[in-house]
Amino acid sequence: MARKFLVHARRDQVGVAVADILKGEEVEGTFMDDGSKVTVKSQDEVPLGHKIALMEIGKGQKVIEYGEEIGVATAGIPKGSHVHVHNIKSMRWGSS
Amino acid sequence: MTKILGYERENGHIGVRNHVLIIPLDDLSNSAATGVESLIKGTRAIPHPYGRLQFGPDLELMFKTLAGFGRNPNVAGAVVIGIEQNWTQEIADRIAKTGKHVEALSIEGSGDLKTIEKASRIAKSMVQDATEKPRREYDLSSLLISTKCGESDTTSGLASNPTIGALYDRLVAEGNTLLLGETSELTGAEAHIANQMATPALKLKFQKMFDDYTKEITRQGADLLGSQPTQGNIKGGLSTIEEKALGNIQKAGKSKFVDVLDYAEEPTKKGLNYMNTSSAAAECVTLFAAAGAVVHLFTTGQGNIIGNPIIPVIKLSANPKTVATMSEHIDLDVSGLLRFEYDLKEAADRLYKLVVKTASGRLTANEVLRHFEFVPTKLYISA
Repeated sequence: MARKFLVHARRDQVGVAVADILKGEEVEGTFMDDGSKVTVKSQDEVPLGHKIALMEIGKGQKVIEYGEEIGVATAGIPKGSHVHVHNIKSMRWGSS
Repeated sequence: MTKILGYERENGHIGVRNHVLIIPLDDLSNSAATGVESLIKGTRAIPHPYGRLQFGPDLELMFKTLAGFGRNPNVAGAVVIGIEQNWTQEIADRIAKTGKHVEALSIEGSGDLKTIEKASRIAKSMVQDATEKPRREYDLSSLLISTKCGESDTTSGLASNPTIGALYDRLVAEGNTLLLGETSELTGAEAHIANQMATPALKLKFQKMFDDYTKEITRQGADLLGSQPTQGNIKGGLSTIEEKALGNIQKAGKSKFVDVLDYAEEPTKKGLNYMNTSSAAAECVTLFAAAGAVVHLFTTGQGNIIGNPIIPVIKLSANPKTVATMSEHIDLDVSGLLRFEYDLKEAADRLYKLVVKTASGRLTANEVLRHFEFVPTKLYISA
């Protein structure tokens, strides 16, 4: 299986594509903190550098990357889907 | 102890380039300064649009920036040209404190052409004197080094910024003085930087600086969400300022910050220093160079092409597409990190070797491509 994404920290809900991921592709990721593996079936095209959901994230739920909150989900995000400005937003600068 | 081949200045500071700098005090003096540059080999002019009717802290920062460029150890000598005498002499006096050769010329009463001739004769001698100076061996640890990221994407946070972090940890251990800035791009990760401060007093100083910045944004009634993350960041996969900031701070490494500096303030403590700067690439690198940085390390994801007139800007990227499509701008390709070809330590070792080579005279992409952006930070309107 193609090694196509990295995950910064154990508790992260998203991985970052290190190569373009095709829709429907079964891809493997590596946790950067302990080297362990995780696999996920992609629901969308996820270009290099973009994020893929490793689990379902409910609307209004905080999104975790680097082991930290990077924003809040503005829509329900199914496992394996592309995570970006269309479904998450910042919690800073009057964006509430 | 790793050695580089550099230049020792009169005040004992070590530079890695040997420029003769032609500094226009103000917008009106750009023509004369670039006139000298075009006549005299080995000179570099730094034209800019300011220097008239500035006042208070904004004027002081302009003085610090212009004088800082003349004071920088990469500069052998400087000619300052201004429309009027007083402020021109002020810049020259600040540069002269380093002990290096500096001359001040004012245009009023003589005009551009006579000024260009006089300045060119001075610059010609300065260049000849500068070329007499050989490169000699000095410790790498004597260099002041700065870092910044630009047109970042998620590959910055995954690979190129952690490469800087690993290098910074090594350089701190070896005794270098290092700079990190970009206040706006800490938003969402500022607590991490606050917790990396060496003392509670520094933590308070840092927190106040960050809060003042946030208040200024609020006072302007602005919402930075339209400019942070940038369109380039978003294209590269960065979704929020928090995510960008968490990637940005990977450059800091794990060392404690030994000081918190104001814009263009020269550091006095060895180790990792935080400087208040804008996150706009050219403004930030200009402030670091004005504070005396002699080598800059710049990471990019989507492909920022910035340079600086007096300090080599070493550019690294981990984005394989950028490295392929913009290869002439990239000094070090670390995209192998994303393909699991080598680890961070190896990437940091490669960067370390490139710093040594660059400091010893190898030209960077920005120097060969003539990317010499000089952008003073302006704090507010002129009178």
